[in-house]
Amino acid sequence: MATYKAPLEDMRFILNDVFQADRLWASMPATAEVTRDLSDAILDEAGKMVENLLFPLNRDGDEEGCHFDDGQVTTPKGFKEAFKTYAENGWTAFSGNPEFGGQGMPKSLAVLFEEMMHSANSSFALYPALTNGATLCLDAHASEDLKQAYLPKLYSGEWSGTMCLTEPHCGTDLGIMRSKAVPNDDGSFNISGTKIFITGGEHDMVDNIIHLVLAKLPDAPAGSKGISLFLVPKFLPDADGNPGERNGVAAGSIEHKMGIKGSATCVMNFDDAKGWIIGEPNQGLAAMFTMMNYERLSIGIQGLGLGEVSYQSAADYARERLQGRAATGVQNEGGNADPIIVHGDVRRMLLTMRALNEGGRALSTYVGMELDKAKFSENDAEQKAAQDRVALLTPIAKAFFTDRGFDTTVIGQQVFGGHGYVREWGMEQFVRDCRISQIYEGTNGIQALDLAGRKVTRNGGKYVDAFLADLRGWIDDNANEQGLDSIRERLVAAVDLLESTTAELLRQAGDNPDMVNASAVEYLDLFGYVTYAWLWARMMVTAAQRDDDFGRAKLTVGRFYFERLLPRAGALAEQIKAGPATMMSLEQDLF
Amino acid sequence: MPEYKAPLRDMRFVLNEVLDLDGHYAKLGLEEVNSELLNAFLDEGAKFSENELAPLNRSGDEEGCHFEDGVVTTPKGFKEAYAKYVEGGWPAINGDPEFGGQGLPGSASIAISEMTGTANWSWSMYPGLSHGAVATIEEHGTDQQKNAYLPKLTSGEWTGTMCLTEPHCGSDLGILKTKAEPNADGSYSITGTKIFISAGEHDMAENIVHIVLARLPDAPKGTKGISLFIVPKFLTDGNGGVGERNAVACGSIEHKMGIKASATCVMNFDGATGYLIGPENKGLNCMFTFMNFARLGTAIQGVAHAELGFQGGLAYARERLAMRSLSGPKNPDGPADPIIVHPDVRRMLLTSKAFAEGGRALVYLCAQLGDQVKLARDDAEREQAHDLMALLTPIAKAFVTEVGLEAANHGVQIYGGHGFIREWGMEQNVRDARISTLYEGTTGIQALDLLGRKVMMTQGQALRNFTKIVHKFCEAHGDNGELKELIEPVARYNREWGELTQAIAMQAMQNPDYVGAASVDYLMYSGYVTLAYLWARMAAKAQEQLDAGAGDEDFYKAKISTARFYMKRILPRAAGHKGAIEGGLDCLMELDQEHFAF
Ligand SMILES: Cc1cc2nc3c(=O)[nH]c(=O)nc-3n(C[C@H](O)[C@H](O)[C@H](O)COP(=O)(O)OP(=O)(O)OC[C@H]3O[C@@H](n4cnc5c(N)ncnc54)[C@H](O)[C@@H]3O)c2cc1C
Ligand SMILES: Cc1cc2nc3c(=O)[nH]c(=O)nc-3n(C[C@H](O)[C@H](O)[C@H](O)COP(=O)(O)OP(=O)(O)OC[C@H]3O[C@@H](n4cnc5c(N)ncnc54)[C@H](O)[C@@H]3O)c2cc1C
Repeated sequence: MATYKAPLEDMRFILNDVFQADRLWASMPATAEVTRDLSDAILDEAGKMVENLLFPLNRDGDEEGCHFDDGQVTTPKGFKEAFKTYAENGWTAFSGNPEFGGQGMPKSLAVLFEEMMHSANSSFALYPALTNGATLCLDAHASEDLKQAYLPKLYSGEWSGTMCLTEPHCGTDLGIMRSKAVPNDDGSFNISGTKIFITGGEHDMVDNIIHLVLAKLPDAPAGSKGISLFLVPKFLPDADGNPGERNGVAAGSIEHKMGIKGSATCVMNFDDAKGWIIGEPNQGLAAMFTMMNYERLSIGIQGLGLGEVSYQSAADYARERLQGRAATGVQNEGGNADPIIVHGDVRRMLLTMRALNEGGRALSTYVGMELDKAKFSENDAEQKAAQDRVALLTPIAKAFFTDRGFDTTVIGQQVFGGHGYVREWGMEQFVRDCRISQIYEGTNGIQALDLAGRKVTRNGGKYVDAFLADLRGWIDDNANEQGLDSIRERLVAAVDLLESTTAELLRQAGDNPDMVNASAVEYLDLFGYVTYAWLWARMMVTAAQRDDDFGRAKLTVGRFYFERLLPRAGALAEQIKAGPATMMSLEQDLF
Repeated sequence: MPEYKAPLRDMRFVLNEVLDLDGHYAKLGLEEVNSELLNAFLDEGAKFSENELAPLNRSGDEEGCHFEDGVVTTPKGFKEAYAKYVEGGWPAINGDPEFGGQGLPGSASIAISEMTGTANWSWSMYPGLSHGAVATIEEHGTDQQKNAYLPKLTSGEWTGTMCLTEPHCGSDLGILKTKAEPNADGSYSITGTKIFISAGEHDMAENIVHIVLARLPDAPKGTKGISLFIVPKFLTDGNGGVGERNAVACGSIEHKMGIKASATCVMNFDGATGYLIGPENKGLNCMFTFMNFARLGTAIQGVAHAELGFQGGLAYARERLAMRSLSGPKNPDGPADPIIVHPDVRRMLLTSKAFAEGGRALVYLCAQLGDQVKLARDDAEREQAHDLMALLTPIAKAFVTEVGLEAANHGVQIYGGHGFIREWGMEQNVRDARISTLYEGTTGIQALDLLGRKVMMTQGQALRNFTKIVHKFCEAHGDNGELKELIEPVARYNREWGELTQAIAMQAMQNPDYVGAASVDYLMYSGYVTLAYLWARMAAKAQEQLDAGAGDEDFYKAKISTARFYMKRILPRAAGHKGAIEGGLDCLMELDQEHFAF
């Protein structure tokens, strides 16, 4: 069976010991109140909550799924009650703006909370996740009136939010969307059109659902520069701010999906629904961009969370399942076979999972801290540097967490042998739930393009240079640290490889416009492996200062990462260098 | 939803042109088998698969199998399709003519299995499992057993199963518990629980013949104490019909990730009457004789899902419009370009194509070797084929299913969000594909078989036999200007393969854990190199046809183009696996069991 305990010790190790996040929080007025004691206590509570409240609903939620009947969506048994408890205990307000009732917790803490949510129950986690996206966007761009009217109830969990971008004919290419917004005399707009794949578009857990909708104004320019953002509530608030008249928006159906079956994915029909503009006309996509990094990171964390629960379950199973004898002789004298954890190949699977999960956890925390600096720092230089760093690393976090997360859930299933394929054991659900994370919030192909194109070639590699300089600086500063001796050379070689491959990418991209798109995915993977190498090195240096089992285990897993996973980077570099020719030469008709 | 079209052109290319089956059959002395016959077969098989089986694939997944009170009902249409299959004589293709079979060699039906499997993997498992039972009885049964079971199994009126797995063991069959007590009449009473038995119970055939692994009362411990039994659902009535119901029944069926229309059954044997087949305590050895064929059957699944993912992805990529090509609009009149213009979409398509077609070549090659193992007139030739097949089978089984799963996932990704939605069919392809790396020996177990048994236990001889073939091929084509850039990497990796193997052997002498630690990376490495050889071989054949002005230029050019893609963009992955192996052992073995999670 699947098992899950929030990995609190590792989370504290990364947050407190490796990154000393509390020092950063203390340095910025907006987060000054968050102390190490507070963050530790919050993680404890969050762990208990997800283990006791959400994890038990995960398997059943998958089997039951959501129900659709005549425009109404019913979530699986227990979801509604759990959501009520969740909201009452203040979890919906976690990262909200305190001015409107939020708790103002930093992203660097939120990432760990989000990881637990996705480990315990990914379908459930998506309802508050989408609301988070909506509130971030409102907080950044909406008028004061709209904020006053909507943010408090969204933070309290009485209402929830959605993001309505996708249409039947477009998801990646939002420039060609068709939904229309026609201005009314009172300053509001009438929104018409069909949105598909809207997560949490309709459900039974809250009193009102607030849709953030992309649509085009009548004379909007063509393409992505002609898109505006609107707030469209399911029920229009009455004079007291409570849900009043029903608006012209309704769910037409829900999708039947591979996974996240407890999350309602809705076709939303807008039929002259009343809405209010958020931000400036035709600046809708730009408004979305401000929260995009947060959301991408959060969806990346879905991959991480599922990788973690899969790992824990597999490690438990591997200690119990008896099968075959160890190559070095019998280990379990009393039993008719040895536990499979004695086999080198089972260890390879488990350690691969663990090394990727813990590397990912470190990166999520690191990017969370950079996001905090980018938002709250009062030092301009620090803020700017953090913004650049976030821009560079967010697509990596989104795509690499979810691609490796998917690999990890598949491996976890493999550890269970045939039982991994059977639903009641729970391992195959993690695979199905994880699969979506590679697709939505911008497919991983699109993330890779964003990285290789916008974030690297478009600025001549400026962000990468800064990143590489930091890595080299860190290596120099820690040259004599204990944890680094066994892996220093490999780390330096990895940094060199990222540098030379980036140069190669820039060179070939100058000659051939197809180069970026042709090598983006491999480049992102390479970048991910090298970044994890650096983060593993950081963890190892910190771990070497401890004299306990936890610290020693970290060092072993770190070495495993360098010796058995990092070599993949070399192969990726070779693929990238091969260039686009072999991909473009085949004519479309000859496929 | 992807509409399956059997890739007949490519199948013929591999069978007739690359593997030269005409020459092969002539050499084996099979006068009546030739490409003309094969082609007719392929056409009929394609029609049947496309028209009868493919339409049931999606609905079969949604409906799944039903279990009630020991009775299993297959999804709507399955039974009727099976009846047509039997009527068409398909189950009998490879069967022994003495019992109504057509006696055709395995290579003559491999493409048919691929087609039925790609069209509907769940469905194809019912006849697929029968093959195992038939092969076992043909090989090890007494005349009486053959007469009793083979005619109906060969015709397909009855189906068969393979009952190995038990709740506490799958990979480690040495610890299985099912018992066989001898009866006075020479039969045995079989008692025990088998799980995960594909087609253990269903409504498509009038009788089901289980081949069961069990232990005799005083059997030695471990794998050397296992015997093989025939346990029919209904005892035979002595006249070729069915008689009394036997004490074997389905206790439940599993609810699975995929292949939902294939019934996976818990089978309870409760003093069921069984008949020993083969010698006492040699059950596993008996199984081994056809294990290569069974594994090959699962290797086909890798090809099937890669092909289906590719076909679905390709059709969608030509239609779906999103964004503009970076080298200028390709569809200026539309709102956006078809996504096939984007290199990253091409990467996914070409990767899938390279795996589907390369996997096909490997699996068909193994089938050809299988013919030689059975039918070659010369002992040495037979043995050589046997050794080569033994080496290539775990690679085909594990590597082709692993990359088949990857390709199925590319298929989903090409569909974007729609890939995740059931009605489009692409996610089913992933769910169905996922089983292939688990059953019939997990990837890990195949890898141990390859590196431990096939390579190390022969002191590398089996591998050297193969790398020599590759080497000769490279020598023969290395001077061909057009092919040079394809041959060079094959030759390089082929050399390196031998070196890597030697390095592993040295290490393994010092530490027996080394093999298990290196095995899966070694298998993947071997798979990438083997496929590189086959891609080069296909390209060489394509070039030869182009030079000879054989027509069909586009097809051959596409082959060469895909081969180039494979060498440049896929083969380098082998280096990553090599690096991982060289990473060594300590970091893998030293972590205390209790320290895996805190
Ligand atoms: C369960 C689920 C929940 C979702 N939730 C929401 C939600 O709440 N709100 C919302 O608005 N949307 C949501 N979506 C939609 C999701 O964000 C989109 O599906 C996703 O952005 C991809 O868009 P698409 O499906 O149109 O794929 P397409 O854009 O058609 O892409 C198809 C393929 O082409 C590739 N491609 C496209 N353009 C390029 C290019 N220029 N270069 C290289 N490759 C390219 C893509 O990577 C992909 O592989 C959800 C989807 C699902 C399935
Ligand atoms: C849908 C389905 C259909 C099936 N059909 C049939 C059928 O028709 N007949 C039948 O008999 N069985 C069938 N099986 C069973 C299948 O063959 C087994 O599940 C498979 O052999 C693995 O055995 P297991 O599940 O016991 O896994 P385990 O043997 O418990 O393996 C668990 C993990 O440990 C690893 N492992 C085990 N031993 C070692 C070792 N020595 N070294 C390294 N790693 C090791 C494995 O690779 C795996 O990752 C089916 C299973 C399924 C799910």
